[in-house]
Amino acid sequence: MDILIPLIALLPIAGFLFTAAVGRRLGKRAHIVPVAAVAIAWVVAMVVVFTAVTGGFGDEGRTVKLWDWIPAGAFHIEAAFFVDNLTAALLIVVMTVGLLVHIYSIGYMSHDPGYWRFFAYLNLFMFSMLLLVLGDSWLTVFVAWELVGLSSYLLIGFWYRKHSAALASKKAFIVNRVGDVGFALGIMAIWVNTGTLNIRDSIGALTGPTSMGTTGTLAAALPIPIWVIALLIFAGAMGKSAQFPLHVWLPDAMEGPTPVSALIHAATMVNAGVYLVARANPIFASAPEAMVVVAGIGIFTALLAASIALTQTDIKRVLAYSTLSQLGYMFAALGVGAWTAAIFHLMAQGFTKGLLFLASGSVIHAVHDEQDMRKMGGLAKKIPHTYRTMLIGSIGMAGIPLLAGFFSKDEILGETFKAGFYWVWAIGVLVAVMTAFYMFRLIGMTFWGESRVDATVEPKIHESPAVMTLPLWLLAVPAVLLGLLLSWPGPPLGPLFGQTGPGLLAGWLEPVYAQGLEILGRREADFAIFGIDGVLILISVAVAVIGMLAAWRLFGVEVGGLRRRGDPEEVRALTARVPFLYRASLNKWWFDEINHVLFILIGGRVAAFLWWFDANVVDGIVNGIGSVTRRSGGGLARV
Amino acid sequence: MDGFPILSLIVFLPLIGALLIAFLPASWARPVALGASLLTWIASLLLAVGFSAGRGGLFQFTEELSWIPAFGIEYKLGVDGLSLLMVVLTTTLSWISILASFKPIQTRIKEYMISFLILEVGMIGVFLALDTFLFYIFWEIVLVPMYLIIGIWGGANRIYATIKFVLYTLVGSLLMLVAILATAFAFQAANGGNWTGAFDYEVLRAFATSGGGFDPTLQLLAFGAFFLAFAIKVPMFPFHTWLPDAHVEAPTAGSVILAGVLLKLGGYGFIRYGLSFYPDAAQTFAPVIIVLSLIAIIYGAIVALVQPDLKKLVAYSSVSHMGFVTLGIFIFQPQGMDGAILQMVNHGLITGALFLLVGVIYERTHDRTIAKMGGLAGRTPVYIAIMGFFVFASAGLPGLSGFVGEFLVLLGTFAFNPFAAATATFVMILGAAYMLWMFQRMATGEVSGFLTGLGNHLTDITPVEILTLAPLGALVVTFGLFPGILLDIIDGSVARALADVAAGTTIAVDPLVTAVGIGVIAAVVVVRIATLPMIRGSASAETNA
Repeated sequence: MDILIPLIALLPIAGFLFTAAVGRRLGKRAHIVPVAAVAIAWVVAMVVVFTAVTGGFGDEGRTVKLWDWIPAGAFHIEAAFFVDNLTAALLIVVMTVGLLVHIYSIGYMSHDPGYWRFFAYLNLFMFSMLLLVLGDSWLTVFVAWELVGLSSYLLIGFWYRKHSAALASKKAFIVNRVGDVGFALGIMAIWVNTGTLNIRDSIGALTGPTSMGTTGTLAAALPIPIWVIALLIFAGAMGKSAQFPLHVWLPDAMEGPTPVSALIHAATMVNAGVYLVARANPIFASAPEAMVVVAGIGIFTALLAASIALTQTDIKRVLAYSTLSQLGYMFAALGVGAWTAAIFHLMAQGFTKGLLFLASGSVIHAVHDEQDMRKMGGLAKKIPHTYRTMLIGSIGMAGIPLLAGFFSKDEILGETFKAGFYWVWAIGVLVAVMTAFYMFRLIGMTFWGESRVDATVEPKIHESPAVMTLPLWLLAVPAVLLGLLLSWPGPPLGPLFGQTGPGLLAGWLEPVYAQGLEILGRREADFAIFGIDGVLILISVAVAVIGMLAAWRLFGVEVGGLRRRGDPEEVRALTARVPFLYRASLNKWWFDEINHVLFILIGGRVAAFLWWFDANVVDGIVNGIGSVTRRSGGGLARV
Repeated sequence: MDGFPILSLIVFLPLIGALLIAFLPASWARPVALGASLLTWIASLLLAVGFSAGRGGLFQFTEELSWIPAFGIEYKLGVDGLSLLMVVLTTTLSWISILASFKPIQTRIKEYMISFLILEVGMIGVFLALDTFLFYIFWEIVLVPMYLIIGIWGGANRIYATIKFVLYTLVGSLLMLVAILATAFAFQAANGGNWTGAFDYEVLRAFATSGGGFDPTLQLLAFGAFFLAFAIKVPMFPFHTWLPDAHVEAPTAGSVILAGVLLKLGGYGFIRYGLSFYPDAAQTFAPVIIVLSLIAIIYGAIVALVQPDLKKLVAYSSVSHMGFVTLGIFIFQPQGMDGAILQMVNHGLITGALFLLVGVIYERTHDRTIAKMGGLAGRTPVYIAIMGFFVFASAGLPGLSGFVGEFLVLLGTFAFNPFAAATATFVMILGAAYMLWMFQRMATGEVSGFLTGLGNHLTDITPVEILTLAPLGALVVTFGLFPGILLDIIDGSVARALADVAAGTTIAVDPLVTAVGIGVIAAVVVVRIATLPMIRGSASAETNA
């Protein structure tokens, strides 16, 4: 088993190195090695996951040390991998979506001259992401954190001739770096406080009985308050998971090829922040102030992004803002201590969003690289596989019972309510209406009603090849069943994984959250379908239906005899009634404009001024002293 | 190898090469220079193999010959972990630079190669000398060939750059000579008029760190003089303005050595002489140096953001990166010192490579203006791939070597003062910003009109050019994954230097003196601003171009 754990990450990096070296010469066969590497890694990972969730590694998990990475005196970092049930949960999403995206890309990227390069980057990303969830120390996680940023940079900017893609990739990397500064400082603070960067040891030292002790060698340093550490870690999470105000990079990241959007910017990389906070749950539990900040920023991001998603016309951007919004839900859950619900939503969203993005790629493929939904419509019959899978994903997103998205979202809303965060719950419900609305607006504008496709493209619309639709159907399975599976309370599934209890996932994650829950002093309340939980479910379902109906009324639907066409006039009248909100939504609340003024205009002026200062004042003083000496020297010579 | 003078061999092998070139026809200059530098490199690698890491920072392979017995001046060489790294860095970059000069340098090839080899003698000598007078001699030897390399084979504005470079460096080194002599006199006086050991590094070090050490006033003045010499070399803010000019005018190989090795002379000097000879003064000056380092880190990065010229951008990034070296040294903390030394090595490798890469594109375009580039990813994909690698290495991507050094410095700084660390960590954003902005304008988009106009002259990187970059890339990966290789070697030296400085205590400086000092500096700045011909907008105008 100890050899299998590093193998999960090493297979993709081997695939990357191989493809980077010789991929150019392989032409259309360049995908074989990278896809095979990820496929084998998937098998290996599933063996590891099964071992983990059936208790094979015990409650503590399993560590595999490779070598001493940085032996700098008291600062000693090992290169080591670690697997416990939380890692296992992430491995399921990362490996499965990763593998399916690799397969899908064989079709999607088949005409691209950079075919080999694309698969090389994808493998590099898989390695980075796997290292992130497998890292044993904060610093290993940080390395992976940055490598994920690098592979994201390379993939967003994959079409490097496109100016907008080049700008988007740079923006993503730099905005991520803002969060990374916080994360890096958090890591330093952890080391100064505890003298170790091993994740479990340091958390134990920070939150255990002997908390806040400094190491003997660092007497000069003050111990850093734990809420500062929590907020610094959260800053890193905000960058990767694109939480307000660092959310601006994610919509632009849609400049990358669509499989990249599905894998990195919906299903895996953006979840890294959620993983990080969940991993550090005892630290957050010890800092209630920080948890309120997490919940507040999370639910605010959820609302902000949902409000923007309502009016966007680019199919991928709607999905991107939807991703932001759902990530906001996850942080709201993390902030109220509903860590299981957050990971549950992460997994459900990972598959659902992966599915929706790949399906949107199939749509874009069908209409010849058109992403504007105003130039789509009526595609349901022409690309039936894409339509059906995307409809499944959207129903799940809207929160209709028995689909994965319903279970996880409902758990988040229920937990926030029961934890007493009524304001988070209320905003969450509002966001749920908006979610149902914008998802069905997307379905309506894309698949229903009359075709608005360009006349030259219209006859060429075709369904994608099987290599692309198969991954869609394979992702639709977990998008439907995952929620039922993971929340299944007892037999027959429980005994299969060696447990019975509140729900499969909750049982898996129990040891991970035990310490955090103990600090919070909270027991997960029993689920009462005929009590408060039943009422909350009814409310969630009701708002989902309201949102869907509203979208149906405005954007048309065809269900049997209930034919109704989308009415542009009605939409226009509605938007005219709230002109400010409409413009704000359309212009994404002007964040890009604000950042432009702050960083390009003002920041650029400051930099230019400093350069002038350097060339004239700093340099001038020394040259001036030189010229004074020269002049006096000349004077002396005359004497 | 005991008894075999391997250090002298390493120091003088390049000199033998230089002599050979002088007496051989010009066509032999290139192969002989490359051969001599490769042999020196191999000898330095043998030295590294023979070096024992576990000796607590003591000098190994020492050689001692009486030179000027009347004053106790000796020819004395020795190597510890710190100097070993610096020597191997020097010999590695030297052969790479000589190889990289084959094509660009077409005039006075004999003189060029001789200058380069003598430069190598001086640099290695500085790192190996264990006699302060010998150290000074080698220090000055470095200056002359560099002066020639920039002044003869440099760009259009080379005379201005050369004079500036020489003036700055000479002011520093002359003051250093005075300090060396003053220290020797002080030792001789304390030693009952006996000159024996007055220039011997180990004797002086033992004297300085046991008992009371040198007189506080002497320490402040001598440290001040050394500080100026080293601060100019590093270069620390505000003594850095010679660097962008020198880089812009220097030929590619000159820039590589300038950034890769010459700047390290300052950092090396601080650790070797500043801390160990004048621990009290080092403690006293530390807060000032830490503040200047933080300014350099942020300021260098911000100014790098708006540079229109590739070489100037890399030059200002050097100011920022070298700020980590002085910061790491003067927080007097093991992780900081480890990080500072790693940063010296890594900056040498990464920035050396970046200057080589600038040279590659300059060879083809005879231009370094970033605004004229664009779309190179499609035209010269291998070049851009290699450049991307070093761009991310420079931006501190973990897994590559630059990260480890900077992170260790930040970690040490955080333990010293979290706010100082927060300030320095901010450069993670700025560093990514200026490197990626440059890279984006070079690599992406459509091929620019300027580049299209070059037609077939714009070829991808050649195998020889790759050969100059490959070893640097390999080392950047190796030291990123296994920094333990370096940390084991320097462990003893770091512990010794920190023990030396820990023996010191802060000297109480009269507040009046401090106030007057600050007043004078402020007055000079104000006068300078007031006497500017007018507030020119030239800088911002150029940025927009």
